[in-house]
Amino acid sequence: MKNFYRFFFHTPFYKIVLVAVSGCYINNASAFRNTTTNDTTPVSTQKDAIFFIENIKNLKSSPYWPHVKPDLFLKNLKENIYTPLSIYEGSNTNFCGYAALSYFPLHDDPLGYAKFMLELFEKGKADFGKVLIQPSPEIMQAAGTLKFKGLLDIRPADQIWFLCLADHFKGYINFFNRHYDAGDENTFWASVNYAKFNRMVKKLFNYAITARGFDLMHPHIFDLYEYIIAKMKTGTVVLYLNNADLYKKKHNTVRPAIPTHFVILLDIIKTEDMITITYWDYGFRSLRQITSAFFKKIVFGISCCTKKISHE
Amino acid sequence: MVFRVAQRKYLMSKKNSIVILFCITPFLYACTPTTNILKYYLQNQKILDSIQQSYKEQYRQRPFSIQFTDRSFTNVSIEIFTDTLKYIYEFAKSEDRMKDTLLKYHLSVPGINKLIVQMASIHCTWINNLDYYVKGKKEYLVFMSIRPKSVNFPFTNKKYYILTYFLQPQYYDADGRLLDRRYRKKIRKINEDVFKRITDKVAYTISDRFR
Repeated sequence: MKNFYRFFFHTPFYKIVLVAVSGCYINNASAFRNTTTNDTTPVSTQKDAIFFIENIKNLKSSPYWPHVKPDLFLKNLKENIYTPLSIYEGSNTNFCGYAALSYFPLHDDPLGYAKFMLELFEKGKADFGKVLIQPSPEIMQAAGTLKFKGLLDIRPADQIWFLCLADHFKGYINFFNRHYDAGDENTFWASVNYAKFNRMVKKLFNYAITARGFDLMHPHIFDLYEYIIAKMKTGTVVLYLNNADLYKKKHNTVRPAIPTHFVILLDIIKTEDMITITYWDYGFRSLRQITSAFFKKIVFGISCCTKKISHE
Repeated sequence: MVFRVAQRKYLMSKKNSIVILFCITPFLYACTPTTNILKYYLQNQKILDSIQQSYKEQYRQRPFSIQFTDRSFTNVSIEIFTDTLKYIYEFAKSEDRMKDTLLKYHLSVPGINKLIVQMASIHCTWINNLDYYVKGKKEYLVFMSIRPKSVNFPFTNKKYYILTYFLQPQYYDADGRLLDRRYRKKIRKINEDVFKRITDKVAYTISDRFR
């Protein structure tokens, strides 16, 4: 299967297939715009979560997670609650989509996140939003053993979180590699396509999502800056970007124009032809000044995630 | 007659083989990057060690990393870390704007300029401080990527020489591969690459990406 997958992705043929498939998902993403607001987005405060987590004194080892030490797990949960921006997907993994969506529970419902993680640790399965997360035995064995990923090495709760999400949610991009094998955190098994990202945010955290974008094409927005500014007034904006341009890693003349990275946009300012963006990724906030043309070149998707309020 | 034709054919094929061998030898030589990187390190050891030392000293004042964004080594991207934000700037090498930025973040202007000139002189495209973990303890290394001067074939991935400078002597196996710990046979990977020994504190690899 892996040989086939290698062959498939090393020939231009795959782009045609992906365009066809992504088209279906784009329609899917746009369907989120009409989400009804009968139900509400669960919210809690950091104070609630701190009170809850600080009252847990003794956490016993879990038979479901043999390689996760309970003290490290609890320490990791506390770090995420006290400093939600420090969650880190690990170096050279494909967990950036899951790290980006972690922004929502850690900021808007940290208590819900903490309760979910503790239940998952103790019972081996737990509900988050509308989703029952029940990881496969391979995931339970792998959590706590990921190494050489920087800070992620010593954060077992984040390993559980990312691995469980990647194990549960599948998009077309995971079609050829659906089951976890050691090292798959760096492969298409862990990848997140645009529609999958929007679906995860909607199902897990019950946000209303307005999504504009594609997996292989730029969205047709006349004034990208004005559009983003308008969206930032209504909710949290996630950008789907071409990472090969954002963080150049090679000097190749020909680089694939494919988005592979999700960031949370925190601020955007335009002065003449320059755009200054402040965004969160890799466990840190970054500020960068780029030209409007470059910004347009790297943006493939804009998702605006808005909390649902009952009396709307 | 038949023998002569056969003999001529044999001589022709032998001649062709020699010509082909002569033509491909330089390419085969170019395909031995391991030898090249060791040779490169020995030839440039003084300047490489100086860059690493200078970078470490200036990093203590304010964490930062430097990247050359183009092949001609004229544009520099500097990432400057503060407690709350990472600022990513891009400048032309001799731009005045860079001086103002460095001053703003209390970085040494002559120090950084010298570092940039030294990096360009040996085709070093990227330098940063990377953290890694041993038994749960955070350790640091200086990570340098070098774009070797060699023939570029179209549609092929350019290979980079990567050098890592550790603070402490490291453990290696019999094949010279960097190990996770002394008594564990597990190979340590950095950026998903396996590294090999140059000295106790310096290791190398060849990668298709520079960071």
